Amino acid sequence: MKLTVFNGSPRGKKSNTAILLEHFLKGFMETEGNSYELEYIVNNKDVGKLIEMFKDANNVILAFPLYTGCMPGIVKSFVESLKPLCGKHGNPSVGFMVQGGFPEAYQSRFVERYLGKLAKRLNCQYLGCIVKGGIEGTRMMPQFMTKKIFNYFYELGKNCGKSGKFDEELLKRLAKPEHLPAWRRLFYKFSRLTGMANIYWDRQLKENNAFEKRFDRPYGD
Amino acid sequence: MKITILNGNPDNQKFDDYLNNLVKMLELSDNRVVHFKLREMKIRHCRGCFGCWLKTPGQCIYKDDSHAICREVINSDFVLFATPLVMGFPSAVLKIAMDKLIPLLLPYIELVDNKECHHEKRYDKEYPLIGLLIEKGDDTDSEDIEIVSDIFVRFAIDFRTSSRFVMQTDIPVQEVSDEINRI
Repeated sequence: MKLTVFNGSPRGKKSNTAILLEHFLKGFMETEGNSYELEYIVNNKDVGKLIEMFKDANNVILAFPLYTGCMPGIVKSFVESLKPLCGKHGNPSVGFMVQGGFPEAYQSRFVERYLGKLAKRLNCQYLGCIVKGGIEGTRMMPQFMTKKIFNYFYELGKNCGKSGKFDEELLKRLAKPEHLPAWRRLFYKFSRLTGMANIYWDRQLKENNAFEKRFDRPYGD
Repeated sequence: MKITILNGNPDNQKFDDYLNNLVKMLELSDNRVVHFKLREMKIRHCRGCFGCWLKTPGQCIYKDDSHAICREVINSDFVLFATPLVMGFPSAVLKIAMDKLIPLLLPYIELVDNKECHHEKRYDKEYPLIGLLIEKGDDTDSEDIEIVSDIFVRFAIDFRTSSRFVMQTDIPVQEVSDEINRI
């Protein structure tokens, strides 16, 4: 199976999306004869090349982080550049990977609907959409927790490499929590009271000597 | 009422004409309107660097026109997001500008309605109400409108405000103006 992957993260090679893709692709390559190419959308001056890559691909995965409830602006630009391919025959099958900062998978379900429709628009077979929230937090998670998440991506990749599809059951398990369960909401409120919830941000603010300015309102009150 | 219009029209004149008429009408009924033609502005896309939260809190670290947009938006009573649908979605020109509104929020996260994680407001005031004005494309169907509307409501929750309407440019300008004046 041949796969063409577009990483749509504005952080490019240093993105959480890149890390998740790495694990997915590691699994994908477990099947002999599989190959992939990986391209970054950010700072890519050669839009023509991206369109050609899409057109020539057998299978495409477009991966991106959730930005204000949907795709980042640069990913929308990329989607617009595919307009000439709408309804054409011979377009690749296409799947998506959406990772969010907030923990709930639910927050990505709206753009997921758009992506399913986009596949139809492009006359592409739809492989499905990998959704996972809480990914920004992996930067401060202990290794045993990230290992579990990354392993899901590996398994999804491995499965996809064999079957050419995303495994529905794995998708569902990976996505959890779909919504925050009551105990996590309670825990979250508690950690906010103690200031624990803000540690991730406050530490960086202090490192940048910006902690005192964290509530600044430069454009009025 | 103070109104900001973010015009995400990538090119077509008809859409600009519609908005120019809308601005005139809104001004006639005593609103102060700032109309940003986004395609003519210099806006670097958000790089997800979090500099606007962690280095220069409240401002994008890049000096581009997004600063002027943030200033107007946060001091408005109502913000109209206006765009033709391209590939069944608001234009990239508009989305790039929308991504650059995150300096108006804090990095800190709270549970909204004791349910869902969202960022806290940076400013104390009520955030401007928002509305979406779209022009259908040749390929737009009712499912597209539904998806776009639902995603716009999600955007409103992220921005700690609420969406007042999603309207289409196939109705007379006066109706859109009236709807905004009712807010």
